[in-house]
Parts: sequence; C-alpha cells; structure tokens
Amino acid sequence: MERAASMHVRPEETVAEFVGATKRYGEVLAADRIDLRIRRGEFLSFLGPSGCGKTTALRMLAGFETPTDGTVLIDGQDVSAVPAHRRPVNMVFQHYALFPHMTVEENVGYGLRQRRPRLSRREIGDKVAKALATVRLDAFGPRRIWEMSGGQQQRVALARAIVNEPKILLLDEPMAALDAKLRGEMQRELLDLQRQLGITFVLVTHDQEEALAMSDRICIMGKGRIAQIGSPQELYDRPATRYVADFVGKANILSARIVARAGGTAQAVLGNGAAVTVADAPGDARGEAEIAVRPEALSLAPSGEAPGPGVAAVAATVTHRTFLGDHTEYLLDAPGVGALQVNVPRQAERVPGGHGMGASVHVIWPEGAGLVLAAG
Amino acid sequence: MAMTRSRARALLLTPAGLWYAAMLLLPLAVVLIFSFGERSQIGGYAPGFTLEQYANLPARFAAFRNTLTLAPLGTLASLLIAYPLAYYLAVKVTPKWKTMLLVLVIVPFWTSILIRSYAWIFLLGGKGIPAFLAMFGLEDVRLLNTPFAVLVGIVYGYLPLMVFPIYVALEKLDKRLLEAAADLGTPPWRAFLQITLPLSMPGVLTGSMLVFILLMGEFLIPSILGGGKVFFVGNALVDLFLQSRNWPFGSAVAVGLVLVMLVTVGLYTRAAKRFGAGRDDAALM
Amino acid sequence: MKDDQQPISRKAFMEELERYRKGSVTRRHFLGVTGLGTAMAVMGGSLPRMARAQDIGNRVVLATWPNYHDPADFDAFTDKTGAYTQVNVFGSNEEMLAKIQAGGSGWDVFVPTNYAIPTYVDAGLIEPLDLSKIPNYDPASYDPRFAEAGTIDGTVYGVPKNWGTTGIAFNSSKTGGVVDSWKTFFDGARDQFDGRVMVHDYQLTTIGNALVYHGFSFNSVDPAELAKAEELLIDVKPHLYAISSDYQPSMRNGDAWLTMCWTGDGKQMNTDMPEIGFALGKEGGEIWSDYYAIPKDAPHKDAAYALINFLLDPEVNAREALAHGYPVADARTNALLPQELLDDPIIYPAAEALSPLEFGAAVTLTDPNRAELMARFKSA
Repeated sequence: MERAASMHVRPEETVAEFVGATKRYGEVLAADRIDLRIRRGEFLSFLGPSGCGKTTALRMLAGFETPTDGTVLIDGQDVSAVPAHRRPVNMVFQHYALFPHMTVEENVGYGLRQRRPRLSRREIGDKVAKALATVRLDAFGPRRIWEMSGGQQQRVALARAIVNEPKILLLDEPMAALDAKLRGEMQRELLDLQRQLGITFVLVTHDQEEALAMSDRICIMGKGRIAQIGSPQELYDRPATRYVADFVGKANILSARIVARAGGTAQAVLGNGAAVTVADAPGDARGEAEIAVRPEALSLAPSGEAPGPGVAAVAATVTHRTFLGDHTEYLLDAPGVGALQVNVPRQAERVPGGHGMGASVHVIWPEGAGLVLAAG
Repeated sequence: MAMTRSRARALLLTPAGLWYAAMLLLPLAVVLIFSFGERSQIGGYAPGFTLEQYANLPARFAAFRNTLTLAPLGTLASLLIAYPLAYYLAVKVTPKWKTMLLVLVIVPFWTSILIRSYAWIFLLGGKGIPAFLAMFGLEDVRLLNTPFAVLVGIVYGYLPLMVFPIYVALEKLDKRLLEAAADLGTPPWRAFLQITLPLSMPGVLTGSMLVFILLMGEFLIPSILGGGKVFFVGNALVDLFLQSRNWPFGSAVAVGLVLVMLVTVGLYTRAAKRFGAGRDDAALM
Repeated sequence: MKDDQQPISRKAFMEELERYRKGSVTRRHFLGVTGLGTAMAVMGGSLPRMARAQDIGNRVVLATWPNYHDPADFDAFTDKTGAYTQVNVFGSNEEMLAKIQAGGSGWDVFVPTNYAIPTYVDAGLIEPLDLSKIPNYDPASYDPRFAEAGTIDGTVYGVPKNWGTTGIAFNSSKTGGVVDSWKTFFDGARDQFDGRVMVHDYQLTTIGNALVYHGFSFNSVDPAELAKAEELLIDVKPHLYAISSDYQPSMRNGDAWLTMCWTGDGKQMNTDMPEIGFALGKEGGEIWSDYYAIPKDAPHKDAAYALINFLLDPEVNAREALAHGYPVADARTNALLPQELLDDPIIYPAAEALSPLEFGAAVTLTDPNRAELMARFKSA
C-alpha cells in the first residue's frame, strides 16, 4: 500500500521512548530490555505471537504496567511512575471496554469530563459531536452501547480515545473481534484517520498482514525482546533472523555452506551441491548458516530446459500445487535440500496450465535472491 | 409445532404453577378469609365478616414502627459492611484465596441462625464484649437486649445474603472498564464512583431487597438478642397465632405486613429506578 | 439403649431446631429440650417389641413440657408393653391448645395445666377418663388441692402429674439478700436492680404478678385492674433486662439478678449456684398443677391409658420426681422420696408460703384483653 502518511514522519522527533524497559512477573520476563524510539506522527506496530511482550510494551506506554527496570519516556519526560490517568495517551481496547451504563455520547465525552479544570458542557458537546462525526456516527449519540453493532462499537471506542487529542493513540488488537471484511474497511479508515489527525498511532497486533498494511514501522517482538524494527519492506526483504523471516510473509529457510563472501553477497552451497548467490548478513563470518528465500523470488522450469547463465537450478519434484488465481503455490521436494515452496505468477508459467503433480522441475534461483540469516 | 411448544411450556411451568398455587396463593387466601373473621371464645377462628380486625391494626402500630425502622436500618448496615467485603472478595483477592474466603462467608450458614444468635448472646452478654471493654475502663456497657444487639444480629445473620449478589455483580464487572476509565484520565476513587458503583447496583439492589424483605418478617433475632423488648411484626404474629390464638387479628396483621411490604418495596424500586436514571446525570458531571 | 442415655439425639435436636425456627416452640422450650441432661428425646427402640399379653400397639405420642420426665422410664414402658413413647415438648398451654385446636395433632397423652382444662372441655377437645383403666390412680392418696381441677362437673378429665409455683429467683450476691415480694421485685427493677430484672414472656405470670403487686387477684380480668397492671409493666419495661422465659442463662452468667421463675428452674439454678435463691412472693402469685389427659382424637387410646397408668405407678412417679425436681401430690409417691427432697423449701415450700398463691383461672387463658395488654407491653 502506498504510504502517503509517511509525509508526516519527521524522523528527528521522538514522541516516546523505551529505555531498557523490562517487566518481570515473578520468574517470567514479559518485556526484556526494550529500547525503542517512537517517532512523532508515525504508525508503529508491535507484531508478534501471543506472549511475545507486545501487549506488555503497550501497557507500559499506557501506564497500566510499571517497568520493573528501565524507563518509559513520553515527550522526554520519564513517565515510568506516572499512573495511567495522568498520561497524555489514550487507548482503544481489544474488546473496546465501552461503559455499558452510558450512552454513546457519554462514553465519548467521558475523558473530557475528567478534565480539571472542568470544560464547559458546550465545549464537551462540540468536541463529542466532532469526534462522532469523524468516525461517522453523527446520529448515534443518544444510543445505548448494546444497541450498537461490533463495528459501530469499535468506532465509538475510537472516538472516545481521539476526542481527547492524545499524544499517542494506542490500539490493542482493535480489529481482532471484527470479521475479515469489516477489518479491511476499518484498516483503511484508521489510516485515513491517522493522516487526518496526525497523531502517533501505536498498534499491537498478531496479524502480520494488518501490520504490513498499516505501519510505517513494525517492531517485531519475540520472547519479550525486540527481534527487529523496520519498515514493512525492510522486514520483508531483509529479515535479520529466522524468527523474523518466518513471522513476516513466507520464506524457505535452508541450511547452507558459505564458501565465499564479497561486496555484500555470499556464495552458498546447498545440501545438494548447488551453489547460489545471496545477500550476506553484515559482519558475518560463519561457514555454516541458514539462508532464506521468499517463494516468489524463485521460479520453476521444466527439468528438460537448461537453466540460463548466472542462474542456479535445483532439481525438485512437485508434491503439492495450489492454484490461487493470480498465482500458483507449488510445494516441492528437492533431494538433498528439503521441502521448498515456490509461488509462480500466472503469466510466468513456463508450461501451459502449470506443472503437474509429480512433475520433475528445476527450481530457478536468480542471483541475489535470498539472504544469509543472522544467528539466533 | 406451535401446539407442542406451548404444551411443552405448559408442562415446564406446571410444577412452579402448582407450587405457587399450593404454597403461596392458598395460604394467602386462607389468611385473607381469616382476617375478616372473628376470634372464637376460646381462641382460634370463628367464621364471620367484619372489618374489626383491620380496625384494630393500630394496636400493633409499635410493632410496625419498630420493623419499619430496624429493617431498613439493618439493610443499610448490612450493605455498608457487605459492600467492602464483596469488593475485596471480587476484586482484590487472588484466585487462590478467593474460594476459601467465599466458603468462609457461607460457613456460618451451615449452622442454624438460632445457634449463631445464641453465640451472640454470650458475646454481647456481661461476660463477653462488655467485660472486655471494662478492662479499658468502660464500665457497665450494656449491649445485649438492646436494639443495637438486634442490629448486630441482623447484620451478622443476613450478611451473606447481601455479600453474594454484590460479589457476583462485582465479579462480572469487566476490569478493563476501570483501565479504560484510568486511560481516560480518571483517578481510581472517581472510577469507583463512576464505573464500579453504578455497574454493581443490580447486585446492591438485589441484596438489599432480599435482606429487607426477609427482615420485615424477622422475629427470631429480635426475640433472642432483643431480650423480648424489641418487638417486630414477626413477634406480634408469633404471639397472636401461638399465644393468644387470635387468628383473625393475626391474619389481619399478616395482610397488613404484606401490604406494607408491597408498598415499601414498590417505593424502593421506584427510588432505585430514579437513582438509576440519575446515575447517568452523575456520569455527565 | 446407649443412644437413649443421651439427653437428645442429633436428629431430635435438628427437628427441635427446625420447629423453633418456624416459631412453633418458644426459647424456653428449645433450651429445655436441647440444653439439659434430663431433656427429652424420641424415646424407645425403633424395633417393635414382642407382642405382649395386652396388645396396645407399638407407639404412644406424648405432648409435655421440657425437662419433665426421666427418659429411662419410657424405656421401661417400652420393655413392659412393646410401645415406644414419642415425646413432643411445648412451651405454653396456649401453644398446646393451638395445636389441638388446629386438629390432627396425633397426640395420645398431653399435660395441660389446671387452668387450661375447662377450655378443652368447653371446646370438646378432651376425653373423659375411664379411671378403671388407670388402676394406679388412687384419688384418696392425692392432695385434693392439686387434683380437683382435673374434674369438671363430676367428670374426670385429668389425673394429677406434678404441681409447682411461680416465684422469684434472685442472685443473693447481687441483691444483697432474699427477694420475696413482688413489691421489691417491681420497685427494685426501677431502682437498685435497674437493668437486672427479667419477667416472663408469658401473659399469665407477668400480668398476674403485676396484678398481685397492686394487691389484685393474679387472675383478674377486670379492665380497671388490668389497666393498673399495664401501667406498672410499661413503667418498668425500660428498666428490664429482658422479657423472656429463658432466664437461666442470664441468671447464671450474672447479667440478670432477679427473675420470675418456675419451681424446677429455681431448684436447678440453686443446686448449681447456691447464691441463686428462690422465694415465693409473699403477696401471692401462682400455684399450678399439671394433669395427664387424653385428647378426644387420640389415635392410640389404649396405649394412652397404659402410659398414664405406668407413669402414675408410685415407684415410677418417684423416679420421675427425682429426675425433674417438681413436687408430687401423691402421698404414696412422696413416701418413696428421700427426706431431704421433701424438706427442700424450694420444692415443698411451707404451707403458709403457699397459702396466698392462686391457681391460674381458665379465663386468663382465653381473655383477649390480657393478650392485648401483653402485646402492648412488649412493643412499648
């Protein structure tokens, strides 16, 4: 997706920062020495499986958790000991956590009513109306929460948070409860909203597609630590570790012997003796390493065809094929190498109708496709 | 289909219907009929139609006054003690201890209220708490056989009935609502007033209603801990039916009690509704 | 047998408790039944014994007062006749009357007090006794004073069980001496014994003794006299420790110093705590006599006669008296009792102490004005 929102990003400005932030529950390390600067106006996602520490990170930012070690700063102020109700951030909760005993507008105006000195009733009314208009719920103010659909409740939760003009809007799996279609719509609306408000959004999600689609930067978490931070493209193209490569998109991960490295590339010899040229991991000097290659970076040729020059070919047999309209997913067995997945766009099929089950093929590995993964 | 469904419904409701008819309406009808009758020469009921028994109701005014004073007071006292306890159990206690503490709340119910009230006779009697107070120079404190003792007995006896509905309401309360409130700038005490308290009101109303209605018919605690000097409508009824055997008047008093109960519970419900409506206004502040 | 030695079985206790909760027994009764060693139980073996020569069935139901029998005698009765005795205990004549009046009590023998008998007769609730079936009853050996109330218009409805009095129990270590007048009782309640005096939760004795204070008859139903009694009671009420017929615990732990008291309770407290004495009011008060009688609708009449006859056997009766401590009017029985019992001034007071006492009158039981007075007193 085109990231027009990137225009707002002023990389030099930091709105919040984790410095060695650690959260320990007894024996369990929920967050382990997190160091992270969140840039003003960016859309940052914490991505990872459950228990990876992403929610703990968000909750430390919101003020629901106090770091056991390290600090959390917002706008340069150490807020580690500041309780949630005094932090200039607002959250959209996973199940919205709307107040069931209040109407929609009472929910939205709740944060404004907590301000001291008090805001005037009129001012609150205006802001609430504006927030409801922003989430396209203009006429729903007097409704009860239980009269609203899931998607509408989601918008109420959003309005309730943004009406306070927080420095950072925190979103805790906000779309987990929505069905796939609504989720797509909501994602677009959130992006529009962020563009419109210019507020920093921090999203927690376990859904890599959601993270890829929406984020300026993604912070991939694993076992309480940050595994890698980067733009979606960086993470996809240059996963630093097997964990990241595995988590973001699909990847073939193979063991290889590195026989030569120069100028940021490495010569790797696969288990069957085939030599491929891949991007090297900086500062790496290992002789044995794992390499990763995306399924769409490879292609297939009938085994009779000779591979072109500068292109490595790995002999394999088709074990499964799944036709997916614009492309076909092939699962292959390559003797000496193992299982491989190759996605072939429809226009790029070399055999009319694609390769059949059991067909002997060459997996074509273009020079520079794939990379050496860092250890760990 | 509709036939069988309505038949199934009829079948399901039959036991409850019969139960209500036999256990509630029938006795109520008997009491109503009795209340218009006359007391026979040797006591009991003699058929008749007279409003004399109802005209005589002011003779039990004091019993109604006592009941209508101590029942709400007892309800309120139970509520004030039960709420923090229920709150503690539902919100503060770790799950490991929760079950045990809940059982501890129920345990007293395993023995009769009679036995438990007798224990209070000892505690409040001269060799109990007053003797303890005397050690600190507070001489001759009389606790037993006072309205205070009755109140203590009431709170003690009815506490679990108040604790549990409130506990259930608080237990159901989504803790994330409090996080949401904090997130929106509400300090904890205000969040309690704006979120926890209103959302636990159904439990408070249920518990209060339960305790209040049962208290209106109470006679054991006043007679045991009140030393017979605190006279509830329930005590008047026991005396009228078992001692003076004035069944018609007893029936009229019983009908009076039911009516008073209906009126007070009605008023209470209306007040509660109004409070419920006012709650949103409060939330708007 | 082992179980029967126990004052009361768990099951019986729970049943009593249930009844108490439902309000069908008074506190006095409940404690009487459950508290003390001589208390009642559901007596006898559960197995029907061998048929005896005279088959009276295997069951007889007795409605009586608390602490009023020796359980061993019921076992003896079962051994002798094959019928076991099921005992129901009550707190007041009013309550007993209410049960019989309601019908279907299932009782075979009950123990009305003298003043209750005319009401039962008027209501046709009581069986005229066939004395030929009670050979152990020898009218000649009975003090007529305690036997005559059982006969109405020449028909015998009840044969005497025990008699007793309602006097004053006082804790002499607190009262500084004997309290033997209702004047001291009621005046002291508002003065030196403030907050330490108990009266019965029972109209007959509480109103009766208030009447006696004013020099009226214990049994008065005269409105003017009742008004004076009411005035006294209402004036005294704020100064009372309690209105309760369950006075033993409060007397024993020292919270109450003075109480209206029935003979047997007085004896029991005096035995355990000699500083608690018992005296009769010198202005008067109550003397009473209980009778064995049979309800009209008794389901096991043969067994009823057999049980009454058995309990009136002088040897059995003496054992009963030793167990419950109430005096007996039967000379044959008294001849079997130890001298110190007969000399005990609580159980057998001197004749001159008894002379001002009055038997309760039937009218007090049914007079609605006394009942209303009591209600006003309790709710004041």
